[in-house]
Amino acid sequence: MPEPQRQSPPDSQPESHDESQHESPHTGHGFGRLLVAVYGLLALAATGRSILQITEYFDRAPVPYILSAVAAVIYLVATIGLARGDRASVRLATIALSVELVGVLVVGTVSALRPQAFPDKTVWSHFGQGYGFVPLLLPLVGLWWIRRTARASAASAAEVAQSAD
Amino acid sequence: MLQPLTVVLLVASGVLALMAAHHLLRGRLVDDPVIIVGAAIELALLVQLVVGLTKASAIGDGAERATFIAYLFTVLLVIPATIVIAVKEKTQWAMGVVLGGAFVVAILVARLQQVWSLNA
Repeated sequence: MPEPQRQSPPDSQPESHDESQHESPHTGHGFGRLLVAVYGLLALAATGRSILQITEYFDRAPVPYILSAVAAVIYLVATIGLARGDRASVRLATIALSVELVGVLVVGTVSALRPQAFPDKTVWSHFGQGYGFVPLLLPLVGLWWIRRTARASAASAAEVAQSAD
Repeated sequence: MLQPLTVVLLVASGVLALMAAHHLLRGRLVDDPVIIVGAAIELALLVQLVVGLTKASAIGDGAERATFIAYLFTVLLVIPATIVIAVKEKTQWAMGVVLGGAFVVAILVARLQQVWSLNA
């Protein structure tokens, strides 16, 4: 495992006034980059699909298409929140991911019970089957990752406090 | 649409995925060969965009045509985005992102071909 060699000059990050910045865990670094990339992709896919559905054949199934648009916004918020990685952004991302998890479970269940209400695939219908179930797994992975980085940064903060004594 | 181009794109994405997987296992970061293959794919995607746009009118259904055109443009974003992310990341996750990007390009190219063959 090659260690990250980061020689960031102090003025490269305006918000780096806490001294543990260059070593502290960040939701948008390491594995987080992959997560941000996947969220970005889903945001793009959901946005594109919902624009098409709403402009071209909205009357066919208004509710699923509106849900599609809501999902797109949530993916966008999650992408930005994880990529920024400061405390407020991570909190926002946590909320977005929780809503996403509830959304995919509720919409997935409803679409399984009443398939006629969901004539087209949307990101959340049938538990995200049209997207290889990625929409179902992603919030779980994302919440795990946020928890992990939060714990790791709590640990490194404790270490810094200890060495300061 | 243009069968040879689709085949070239799928093979090239496969090559990029293999390079990324190799680098990932060896703990290497983004290097010139990865960027060159990525750029070649991007160039082929631009050719696909031009060919696709000139032939798009063959798709009768308006919504399907819109989907087709949207895919033509969307697929252009993937390689630049993954390379930018990968260059910023200094751990082997950089190659994880490139691997994922190559996979996504292949899926989108296959989807384009599917939309084309079902509707034109």
